[in-house]
Amino acid sequence: MIALAKREFFDSFKSIKSLLIILFTTVVSWQTAQYLSSNPLLIQEAAVQGKESEFVTAVTAFMVIALGFLFVFSVSHDIINKEIESKTIRLLVTKKPRSHIMLGKFLGTLLFWVAIFTISYLVTAIIAQVWVTIEYLKMVSFLTYIVGMVFLVSTLVERTKLTMFIGVFAGVLLPILGIASVMVDKWWMTVIEYLLPYTYTEKGFLMIIPFLMGLSFFFVATKIMNRKDL
Amino acid sequence: MTAVHIEELTKAFGAKKALDGISLTVEEGEIFGFVGHNGAGKSTFIHTITGVLPTSSGKITVLGEENLDNVKGCMGIMPDTANLYEYMKGVQFLKFMGELKNDKRTKKDYYSLMEAVGLGVEGDKKIKDYSFGMRKKISIAQALLGNPELIILDEPTSGLDPESSIKIRQLVKQLQQEGKTVFLTSHNLDEIEKISDRVGILKEGRMEKLGTPEELKNVEQEKLTVVIRTEPVLEKEDVLQMEADAVFLQKEGPNTWLEVETETLIPAISKAIIDSGKQLYEITPKKESLEDIFMNT
Repeated sequence: MIALAKREFFDSFKSIKSLLIILFTTVVSWQTAQYLSSNPLLIQEAAVQGKESEFVTAVTAFMVIALGFLFVFSVSHDIINKEIESKTIRLLVTKKPRSHIMLGKFLGTLLFWVAIFTISYLVTAIIAQVWVTIEYLKMVSFLTYIVGMVFLVSTLVERTKLTMFIGVFAGVLLPILGIASVMVDKWWMTVIEYLLPYTYTEKGFLMIIPFLMGLSFFFVATKIMNRKDL
Repeated sequence: MTAVHIEELTKAFGAKKALDGISLTVEEGEIFGFVGHNGAGKSTFIHTITGVLPTSSGKITVLGEENLDNVKGCMGIMPDTANLYEYMKGVQFLKFMGELKNDKRTKKDYYSLMEAVGLGVEGDKKIKDYSFGMRKKISIAQALLGNPELIILDEPTSGLDPESSIKIRQLVKQLQQEGKTVFLTSHNLDEIEKISDRVGILKEGRMEKLGTPEELKNVEQEKLTVVIRTEPVLEKEDVLQMEADAVFLQKEGPNTWLEVETETLIPAISKAIIDSGKQLYEITPKKESLEDIFMNT
């Protein structure tokens, strides 16, 4: 399991897409932090309103909330079905239980995404001299939801080209739906609101719910995997 | 101890039964050969006993365990249709596979393993640049990682040159000497006959025949075929006139094929041919090979 998690983690860094995402998130965070540190009045104004921490971490939070689905789907959409399509999964399942394979891959992928956004978070925090644990945990919870969903889609849909298409579609649609559902007062939007992670990020302790939902997606994916003909 | 015990194993894909009630026991230290036509169910069988495919019904016990997950570390499997990680180099691939089996060998040991399967130093290039034979060899190598007690090889020598095939056969025999159980499938019946202690013949998902190569041949050879070369050639009428218990089968060129009850009748047949005034050049009992048995299955 650890070997799989390790490979998944390091291999995720090796694609052009991930390198571009790392570059993008780091440069955006760096530029924002530079701007904030050269304009301390902005932080002071936010501090007066008691929103200093949210202000400083807003850029990373925005990247996760608005672009998280798109980023994770574009790099990790084929995390499971790539192995099934190429039949390399047969090498794995003859060595390890399927649940271990799933867990190893899930942990490796989650760690990769957490690492990328932690770098972005750290850049801002170090330059702006502010570290907010609660905002960081919100980000981890949100990312767990996204990675869990990507895992489930990759297990359910066996063709990598299709998950790429679904990923781009979902990556654009879900943030729009999620943010709209928080703002629009319609019953069907309320259903969407509670199914997506956006609403929970502003509800204190309930921020753990996206994390739990992400784990649920992972467990469902593992159950499906256990019954699959490979 | 029993290495593999299978009871009434069935695997269905929709309405089609790829395996239909297979029962089999393979003892520890045995080399068990599995043969069958394309689509007979050999690979499906291997996939079900290795956990690649869930079973539809039946019971599988491997190394005393019914839960295959508990014994995966003790099994070394070379699936026939598995692809490899193309972007990895040979040693890198073996190291990754080894980590999954908690194999703690050093880089030097991985090279020794590549050498043992006939890959050599050439094996340390990217797998995408490997030839078909090299892919087979590294697939076999990864099956040997983690010092497994049971080794399952699906078509290990298909597509290999004769020299490499011999090397793999020697390796299989060596593994047996080390006390390991080897379960292999092959289209090369001569190979299966040479190295297997027991053979199973699979047809349309059912175990048609099971036994040692000798047992299978003895069962088939209740009657013996004799090839006779005479001048002039022995005709059907000549055989009918003989006072020996022989049945005419066919004639081709100077040769005639007869079926007789036992080998002890050959002197009587020889005498009858000579008495009929024909010149007898050769009379040979034809031993049936596993290939003949397979073709008649």
